[in-house]
Amino acid sequence: MNGEKMNFRDSGYALTYLGLAGVVFVTILSLEYAPGLKPCTGGGCWGAPEAYRILYLHVPFAWCSFLSFCVLFYGSLMWYLKRSEDAWVYFQSGSDLGVIFGLGVITSGPIWASAEWGRPWDWGDMRLNSFALLTAVALFLVYSRQSQPDTQQNRDTLSAVGLFGFALVPITAGATTWWETTHPEVLIVESSETVGMSPDVRSFLLISFGVMCILFTGLLILSNKRYRLAAEVSGRKNELDQEAIS
Amino acid sequence: MSPRTLLSARGLVVDRGARKVLRDVDFSLYEGEVVGLLGVNGSGKSTLLESLAGLHPMSGGSVLRNDRGFETTVRDSEGQRGDISGFGLCLQTEGMSGDETVFERIRGACRVAGRADNSEALNEIISEWGLGHRANDRICKLSGGLRRRVAVLSALVPVALNSEQSVVLLDEPSEGLDQASRGLLLGWLRALKMRGHGILVATHDPEVITACDRTVTISETSELTSKIQESNLEHANLPGPSAAESHRELVAWNWRLERRNPIDTIGRGVPALVALLLAFTLSTDIVRSSENYDLLAALILTPAFITAIVTPAIIKRLAEERAGDWWRAMTGTSSRGWFSIMGVSLILPLPIIYLSWFVIADDSGSAMNSDVMLWLWLFAFVIIDLSVAASALHLMVSDLTRAGAVAGILLQLVLIWPFLQMTSALTSIMSNGMSFELALGEPIADIAIAWLTVVLLWAMAVIIPED
Repeated sequence: MNGEKMNFRDSGYALTYLGLAGVVFVTILSLEYAPGLKPCTGGGCWGAPEAYRILYLHVPFAWCSFLSFCVLFYGSLMWYLKRSEDAWVYFQSGSDLGVIFGLGVITSGPIWASAEWGRPWDWGDMRLNSFALLTAVALFLVYSRQSQPDTQQNRDTLSAVGLFGFALVPITAGATTWWETTHPEVLIVESSETVGMSPDVRSFLLISFGVMCILFTGLLILSNKRYRLAAEVSGRKNELDQEAIS
Repeated sequence: MSPRTLLSARGLVVDRGARKVLRDVDFSLYEGEVVGLLGVNGSGKSTLLESLAGLHPMSGGSVLRNDRGFETTVRDSEGQRGDISGFGLCLQTEGMSGDETVFERIRGACRVAGRADNSEALNEIISEWGLGHRANDRICKLSGGLRRRVAVLSALVPVALNSEQSVVLLDEPSEGLDQASRGLLLGWLRALKMRGHGILVATHDPEVITACDRTVTISETSELTSKIQESNLEHANLPGPSAAESHRELVAWNWRLERRNPIDTIGRGVPALVALLLAFTLSTDIVRSSENYDLLAALILTPAFITAIVTPAIIKRLAEERAGDWWRAMTGTSSRGWFSIMGVSLILPLPIIYLSWFVIADDSGSAMNSDVMLWLWLFAFVIIDLSVAASALHLMVSDLTRAGAVAGILLQLVLIWPFLQMTSALTSIMSNGMSFELALGEPIADIAIAWLTVVLLWAMAVIIPED
């Protein structure tokens, strides 16, 4: 059993270090070796074709933050349905990773947008605002978890916020802004000729996404492990409290 | 014939974080009995009593109420909720707002329990309990002992006025009461028992225990030990039952407190006026003479938007001495929706939005000024709705134990979308005049979408936390 735990933890560390090294590698690769974009194609012209290189981090960040929000949603839903400690572990990990990767998206995005659009933010854009709001919800959950006593009622409330955020943001975003978007189309699927992206760019993006996924998986394993241990410690402390009373 | 069960818990499991406070508890309260709930500190007496009132989420089991021969669920671990109206509840902390008067509180407790309030009878009871000279004083002006008397009376009177057998849940009712008040309490407990009501009292007080027909001791491992005993205490004379009435007491309660102490209106109005002054400063001649009305529209709507997202005063009122828990228990499953509606900024958005228009943009030179004037009320209407949604979001945050320690504003960010939608609509009106074409990008469609978004937000913020 102990051996299993050690392996589990070690795989978390290994994947995290591998992912971090990969991100550094991909960053260097994207800045130095990734192919440039055609400034203009039939689909239109890029305002700042060189600035696109930040998308090798921005897009994988966005996908991984969406994975994090899925973990958060899973944790919230399972907590609501089963109220199991395991669901709460996923809830905690999902909110932590949602903040990490969400902040990655909303800091890298405006850097590119400033160069490409001439303004860092577009309030009318669905994806941009969705990620910002989901990150705000995740940030709220992280701060709230830290500041609140760990009671079932607080867990219920926070998981309600998790469900609320996940369910609400896409719906309101769709309801209010889907027809007025300036955000580029989904790059991988609708690539090449329309927006001037070559298959090499697509390959680079896939590599960077793969690397980011390794980092995401490593962090998720480590985070889950950490919160399981925290629950165990909390249980032990409660046992000690009971002994102190008797 | 065995006595009827009024309230019961079956297999109740309640957690506090990783700690199980109640484990597989079975308990029944029968008609015509006073039960003393005993146990050492931390054994879960208050948690059991409050769980019976439906206040705590549970990991296992259910709380059931016998309502005219039918068993109805008060709350269970599957998330089912039901109302437990017409009962009496006294929490360990008072559960009252300091801005209520003594008379209002007791009358309100009767009304929310569905009893008609006979002022004469209520005044008699208040005088009997030594509060006659304080009847019109605010509760915040009373000493701790007097406040406790009011809290206890708020639980006892509605049941005394109820002709049908009901339930009273009292948590440490004698704490802080003087000897005379204790005597009254014990007499009332016995009298309520004589009328067939069931009373559960969590207590450490040996004197209160003498008024009980049965004691139930809860151990640290949640095992209940029941012991029958005899009580020879005299019973008091209670007022006769009053007619059943339905009131919207919750709304009246909030309105009364706002008239007495308008912290909601002031709390919303001052930030709005500051925002208006800032908006006026920002709306330079360059902005006003520009043909692009985006910024101007946002500046006009911002002060009213701010009135809507400010934390409503009802949050503070409900947080005071667990007043919110008392109201939640008394009003049942509809409480969250009502709380959010009561938290609305009803008065300010309309005048603020017109004031903003006159101060910021009336001389903007837009050819469509008359159209804007004619339709600004529609934006005020959506902002009033938006404040209901904002209020529901604030309520979600206020469910947390230390609500003051979290950044609730992060959740309010989602309201920016309807705000932007309204900005877009106002820009269109300022540029091209009002249009009733139901097409995307047209003002009426933008306003309708903003309104629907707000309604959706409100519904989700009210429904999801209620399971």
